[in-house]
Amino acid sequence: MQKVNKNVVLALLSLTSLVFLLFQLYYYKFYLSQKNGAVFSKVRGSQSGQDSTRWHVVRKFLGLISSHNIPVYLIDPLILGLVDKDIEQIRSSPDAPSPECKYFCAPRDFTTFALLDKTWKHELGLFRTAEKMGFQWLKIINKDPRLDGMDDLSGTEIPLHYIFKLASHAIHLVVFYERSGNYLWHGPLRLKQHMDRKFVPFRKLHFGRYPGAYEKPELLLVSIDDLKVQIPKNPSSFLEEMSHSRFLECRYREARAFFQLYPDDASLDAVEFRKKAKSLLHLAALTLNNLGVKFWLSSGTCLGWYRQCNVITHSKDVDLGVFIRDYKADIIPAFQKAGLPLKHKFGKVEDSLELSFQGEDDVKLDIFFFYEEDDHIWNGGTQAKSGKKFKYLFPKFTLCWTEFVELKVHVPCETLLYVEANYGPDWKVPVKTWDWKSSPSNVQYNGVWPVDEWDDVIQVY
Amino acid sequence: MDEWKANPTIKPHKKRSWYLAWKYKLMNQRALRKLCQTGAVLFLLVTVIVNIKLILDTRRAAYEQEEESAQDYDDEMLNVEVARHPVSNKKVLDVEVYSSRSKVYVAVDGTTVLEDEAREQGRGIHVIVLNQATGHVMAKRVFDTYSPHEDEAMVLFLNMVARGRILIFTIKDEGSFHLKDTAKNVLKSLGSQVAPFLSWRDMWTFVGRKGGEVYGEKHAKSPTLSTWGDPVLLKTEVHLTSVEDAECHWPDTELNRRRKRFCSKVEGYGSVCSCKDPTPIEFNPDPLKDNKVFDVPVAVIAGNRPNYLYRMLRSLLSAQGVNPQMITVFIDGYYEEPMDVVELFGLSGIQHTPISIKNARVSQHYKASLTATFNLFPDAKFAVVLEEDLDISVDFFSFLSQSIYLLEEDESLYCISAWNDQGYEHTAEDPSLLYRVETMPGLGWVLRKSLYKDELEPKWPTPEKLWDWDMWMRMPEQRKGRECIIPDISRSYHFGIVGLNMNGYFHEAYFKKHKFNTVPNVQLKNVESLRKEAYETEIHRLLGEAEVLDHSKNPCEDSFVPDTEGRVYVMFIRMEQEADFTTWTQLAKCLHIWDLDVRGNHKGLWRLFRKKNHFLVVGVPASPYSSKKPSSVTPVYMEPPAKEEGAAAVPAVAAAEQT
Repeated sequence: MQKVNKNVVLALLSLTSLVFLLFQLYYYKFYLSQKNGAVFSKVRGSQSGQDSTRWHVVRKFLGLISSHNIPVYLIDPLILGLVDKDIEQIRSSPDAPSPECKYFCAPRDFTTFALLDKTWKHELGLFRTAEKMGFQWLKIINKDPRLDGMDDLSGTEIPLHYIFKLASHAIHLVVFYERSGNYLWHGPLRLKQHMDRKFVPFRKLHFGRYPGAYEKPELLLVSIDDLKVQIPKNPSSFLEEMSHSRFLECRYREARAFFQLYPDDASLDAVEFRKKAKSLLHLAALTLNNLGVKFWLSSGTCLGWYRQCNVITHSKDVDLGVFIRDYKADIIPAFQKAGLPLKHKFGKVEDSLELSFQGEDDVKLDIFFFYEEDDHIWNGGTQAKSGKKFKYLFPKFTLCWTEFVELKVHVPCETLLYVEANYGPDWKVPVKTWDWKSSPSNVQYNGVWPVDEWDDVIQVY
Repeated sequence: MDEWKANPTIKPHKKRSWYLAWKYKLMNQRALRKLCQTGAVLFLLVTVIVNIKLILDTRRAAYEQEEESAQDYDDEMLNVEVARHPVSNKKVLDVEVYSSRSKVYVAVDGTTVLEDEAREQGRGIHVIVLNQATGHVMAKRVFDTYSPHEDEAMVLFLNMVARGRILIFTIKDEGSFHLKDTAKNVLKSLGSQVAPFLSWRDMWTFVGRKGGEVYGEKHAKSPTLSTWGDPVLLKTEVHLTSVEDAECHWPDTELNRRRKRFCSKVEGYGSVCSCKDPTPIEFNPDPLKDNKVFDVPVAVIAGNRPNYLYRMLRSLLSAQGVNPQMITVFIDGYYEEPMDVVELFGLSGIQHTPISIKNARVSQHYKASLTATFNLFPDAKFAVVLEEDLDISVDFFSFLSQSIYLLEEDESLYCISAWNDQGYEHTAEDPSLLYRVETMPGLGWVLRKSLYKDELEPKWPTPEKLWDWDMWMRMPEQRKGRECIIPDISRSYHFGIVGLNMNGYFHEAYFKKHKFNTVPNVQLKNVESLRKEAYETEIHRLLGEAEVLDHSKNPCEDSFVPDTEGRVYVMFIRMEQEADFTTWTQLAKCLHIWDLDVRGNHKGLWRLFRKKNHFLVVGVPASPYSSKKPSSVTPVYMEPPAKEEGAAAVPAVAAAEQT
């Protein structure tokens, strides 16, 4: 009797235990898709040395994204760096199964993807599915910079970043917007007050510290670690681009204030000049970009961008700066080919080089070459009739992207220092009479060219 | 889900080993067996307890989290709404309604929801609709029932309001002159005792629930024709119902969520908020084959006429080949209701701080909208520009898709417009026919980006110049001799009656009888012949085959054109130089077409239809086509009537259509 009882009890207990085991399994599965990441990752962590959480999360995320037909591409610099090393192999055998988890299993807090804004619109459905799959998400919105330059438009905050978090891993989805000037832009990641600052370690994110500007990438569908993802076709050049992608928005508000103080010149001449300057700048940018010569807006053109987000109508030319190390002998023929004959050439590669090209109707394109010293950067000027040399000193600067007259161009990141060096503290006040030999506050007399060199260093056409 | 298959083997594995151990021990000593049995029982018990706890814990955690995230979500979506309507949970609303000659106001629970004491404005019956559960203002309208047809609009509006809503009426200045019996009966059916007897310059206030009780009514009769009734102030209480009673129970879909948001906020959009059988808000018209304008951004220029916008967007989203992603609605001012309409349809809307006044305000709004459009779609070569008071033809995009390449290739073109200024019911006939005209009709048109960016934007009239943007665009300095392509039968219909330069009389005279294409997929004829040179060949061919009409007859009479069909006729009018439109204006007047300024001409030639015949009018000798005039024919000359207010009317109304 007793024995039977015992057996019955045992059997019953085993049964319940089994049932509960099944329950446990069920909840375990449930957990996997639930947000309770800490518990889950502990279980996983003890299971295997490698962090396959990341792989699983990325896989889930890709599933989510493809179920909504949203084309994303991988821009995670760490993974792209690894991928770049094996790019030949990956390209040649896109479908080969991978023997080991090489890229997506390195333990990281997040993986970064990019999304082109215009390729999708309805986020509500996405969020709902994401939640069902157990993701927590965070959306970072901000003003639309494409409308920022305009007076008083509103009601248009756009999503700049999304973060999808599952278990201990987060997906950082950067939204890229196409902007005038045929480039892509992503915004900075700035948390609003009520947001959860500990949602992910924001400081470690690779994108979002500054806004950035990129060329439109060509994409490649590859299979890495048995996951099909789109990556930039040329990861190394993408990474290169990323390293100096910082973008500066024009100071539209200040520009508006400037125009309230000094109303814009809306005369026909001014309109015409702006049009010409714009097309000249476009042509110059095209020519220099084709040559691979890095340039930036300098002098008056830079001031125009910084002060009023437009071409200064009473300036007579377009000014560009180029580091002398980027000088190429092809520059002159390339401009001539583009329909811009050389007007004058002052100085030489070793010293104070300056080129001027004749644009349409008296609009001149000046290219100043900049020489880097230990603690400053300078460019030179030459007076044709006297052979006098001048030197313009600037504090050291780096280059940032910006948008100007529908063009993606470089400007010095430290624009204020640059402009102040050139135009003094009163740069905010328009000056119509300007003498390039005496007006700039950073000009220095730099001697005279030896007469026997004049033929070479002073060429006027 | 297969990724976790490999992992959960842990537990079964563990279990099996325990089972084996137990079995093994069973075969050995009894005492040990007993011990083991007890141990096993204990262990199992512990497992059961731990499991139960785990289940409970996870369940609670999951539940809490779900709640939390749902809350986050709600916060984001609904925050604004909550902030906008800080209404307490009170069950009774105090309502105050005031009616007088120069001022009306309505206050709900001490908050003024309507106040109008502007001079020369807001005449007629003001109507306010309140949500019966929350007391929110859902609609505010004024019907100038002193003017004709406004009462019809009011009846339409009242019929659209859902049953159970609270209606508040008050009259400013005068509201009875054109208040017809139909309208009076509708007011009576709402419970008004006074409405049937409302007369000249009476003051009147009324509060009632649609299809239910009356909360109050006050009336002051005007003693004489030249005086107004005394001001009346009605104070009453309204009892609120529960939220559930005030809402519909549609299936929970994304679309219906939008619908619900919309319907809980605004009123007066009829069946879109009907509980039983709501009208769709997604239309899915057929896509166009080879759609050349799928990626062309569409800018809808709007003001604060949400009902117009609603009607306009419905027709736009029903047009074949429409791409909702490319549509942006630009609202001039921070108005909520137009934005609600935009969101109902899931489109994107942008609000614009008004700059300047009147026509200049419209003009600045246009500029901002166009610039924003090209900024938002930097790839676009063109933009379609629409206004909120247009119906869009079902083949609007098909029409553009077939013709847009001309705008890209033919430098002599200024725009493509969907509107034919002279295309009235009795003067337009052929949906497949296109014209070239020297005037810029607007009202649904395509703008080339290069034109805008290089020419128009830099020179756009500044806010202090009180110019009409369209008049400015028509000026020779801007147009530079370029022409627009228009269809014979318009692809847009201008239904706006209220507007900056618009009123009921004007609309009836010039817009109501405009022909509007309703045929889908019209294959346009000879698009190639619209190129600059080809068009001249075409005109010469037409004039060559045209029969010269009998110039001794009166061209205004119907008998001037024979009772035929499908023929081509030509008549010659006097036109001394290029800008001499004396006779044309008179002719246009008697033909009941647009005569306020000159529209639709091409080198002194006008093309229209009369009695289903193509009817050409050539201005002699200014037109280069004058050579086609037989020497025996004397061009018709029509003198402008000596005393006519027409001259004064021209500057005032010329730009009327753009409002």
